[in-house]
Amino acid sequence: MVSFHEILERATKGPIMSSKDFDMRVFIPKVREVVEKYKIQYDPDTPCPADDDLADRIYQAAFDLYADVGTYVIDTERVIRFSREEIEDAVYEAPKEAYFGEGPDRCVFKGREPDGSEIPHCHVGSGTDTTEDVALKMVEAYGKISKAKTVSIPSVTTLGPMKSSAGSPVEILAGIYMMRIGREGLRRAGRPGMGIINHMSSCAKGVSTIAASNPDFGARPSDGWLIAPHAELKIDYSSLNQVAYLTSWGANIGQEAGPIMGGYAGGPAGTAVVATAYCFHGILVARATYHLTYPVHMTYVASTTPDMLYVVSTSGQAVSRNIGVPYYALGYAAAGSATKQYFYEAAAYLLAIQSSGMGIEDVHPNKAVVTNGALPIDSEFTCSLGHGMVGITRKEANQIIKRLMETYLGGIKNPPRGRILNECYDIHAMRPDDELRRTYDEAIRELGGMGIRFQ
Amino acid sequence: MTGDEALKGIEEAIVSGDKERSSQLVEEALREIDSLTIIQRGMMPAMEMVGDRFSHGEIYLPEMLMAAEAWNEVMTLLKPKMLAAGESVAKIGTVVIGTVQTDVHEIGKNIVATLLGTAGFEVHDLGVDIPASKFIGKAEEVDADIIAASAIMTTTMTYQRDILEHLMARGLRDKYIVLVGGGVVNQKWADEIGADGYGETAADGVRVAKELLTRRKGG
Repeated sequence: MVSFHEILERATKGPIMSSKDFDMRVFIPKVREVVEKYKIQYDPDTPCPADDDLADRIYQAAFDLYADVGTYVIDTERVIRFSREEIEDAVYEAPKEAYFGEGPDRCVFKGREPDGSEIPHCHVGSGTDTTEDVALKMVEAYGKISKAKTVSIPSVTTLGPMKSSAGSPVEILAGIYMMRIGREGLRRAGRPGMGIINHMSSCAKGVSTIAASNPDFGARPSDGWLIAPHAELKIDYSSLNQVAYLTSWGANIGQEAGPIMGGYAGGPAGTAVVATAYCFHGILVARATYHLTYPVHMTYVASTTPDMLYVVSTSGQAVSRNIGVPYYALGYAAAGSATKQYFYEAAAYLLAIQSSGMGIEDVHPNKAVVTNGALPIDSEFTCSLGHGMVGITRKEANQIIKRLMETYLGGIKNPPRGRILNECYDIHAMRPDDELRRTYDEAIRELGGMGIRFQ
Repeated sequence: MTGDEALKGIEEAIVSGDKERSSQLVEEALREIDSLTIIQRGMMPAMEMVGDRFSHGEIYLPEMLMAAEAWNEVMTLLKPKMLAAGESVAKIGTVVIGTVQTDVHEIGKNIVATLLGTAGFEVHDLGVDIPASKFIGKAEEVDADIIAASAIMTTTMTYQRDILEHLMARGLRDKYIVLVGGGVVNQKWADEIGADGYGETAADGVRVAKELLTRRKGG
């Protein structure tokens, strides 16, 4: 594979181009071209297609796209480009397994096949904004979910009276604080070796992430660090600095990308292609051992509408069938936590990604914008569904998803707010209140009536 | 070709984002129709249609940007002629827009900027990673009505508050309408920092900008 040093060389020697020209003259026309060339079409009646040929065409389109477009480096205003042979080589050599954690809590996350019969990698937790008073309890609660293999820890944006801002010293302190909290929470849960794979959601800047990743604060290379691009297919030195540090340490890097449906990628077909192309970028530029996608709807943000399910499902299939790297997806529900609509939206998303060959992660309530909006019961739901629905095919998933959508699509624009952690949990015991337990049990019963099994 | 047919053709060419065809049709139309009429009856309806279709999810950002490029191309043809004739297009107001300090996310901000432009605002887009003082400096320079600041992350939204604090420190708070938006921003945050308005979506942002400006101007 092209070495990381060569990537850095190309970041400073590649063709010079303005960011706007990259978007308008290179990226947009090429996406449109490959979507047309490979006849990729979105069918609203099939949010989770069982079409291997479509998945493979999306892969080919993504390959052509990345071979022509490459990755734009914001700081140098240059493009890192690769030959087709270099991309093929990277796909062949990319790690197909990622190892997280230590001792008895160590796990392996492998690429799967669509319609596969293996238990999906169950990842729980959320890196959404959380208040300091409950952050430790949240991590502990996530760690206690035995089916969960890896965890995301919350982010905090305050430290006592201080408010964290990107690039500020408080952000560094917040990152260090959460690194310590994450490790301590898992220790309290009895799973001290569990891998935390969303470092560092409390930090926007590379300098903060690197500072908080000092092993003295609890960081281990067997955790995972997420490296985010900028939309679309752009990276900055802040992220490349993190890659330089993490590869030198031998740590797991996760390529995370949230292509925007309706943005530069265009509609669902183009966004599926771009989501897939991010894996090439991830393998080559971000040096990823695992890959996370979270396509976002430009208007609704939520990812449980049929077009968004199509995007994540088809890109998942394209990657699973043709690259085989550990690949999972994060969805955003429109509904707030502790509502029946949330569980219906989450079920639809989880069925789409599980049947498409991906690992699963908690669907985030309230589009992930509400402080203390994520609940441990969401994680129980994720793992229970993931284990109960082992072996589900795309065809079966598509049928159930269509029934689920009938119940919630009307509520996407004006979703129920729900209740945050402090309103529906006994924080001391970290237990849901009776009302939430009733809502959950009812949702499970109703979803069971639609053919969804929980275990 | 009648005048109406010519204007309809211009409208269609802009909606389809065809720069060459738009320019060619405008050049032909200028033999019979004045610049202002071309803008008001051919080009503005086109951009209104583009904005509507975009807001309803019928077209996506690439199509909108291509239409905006066609608009800009044609405007470079028309501006000298309007200047010579002493004509100008009435604008709704002036907006200074950008993504806040340390945040380099631009798509949402670009969409709002484009929609504001198509809605008749004069838009000064500062780009990304913009410190509070730069927003204010530009607003003072162009005598803006609105400062619009985008932030996509919980750790960058605090810089939206900075803009308001800088305005207050300079005694300029009441001079500008301050709008905030971005992925993690919500009405609660807008209220907390004392912003004048918040848009959940790009279309919301434009609607709020129009409403607040109308209210300020006593409309």
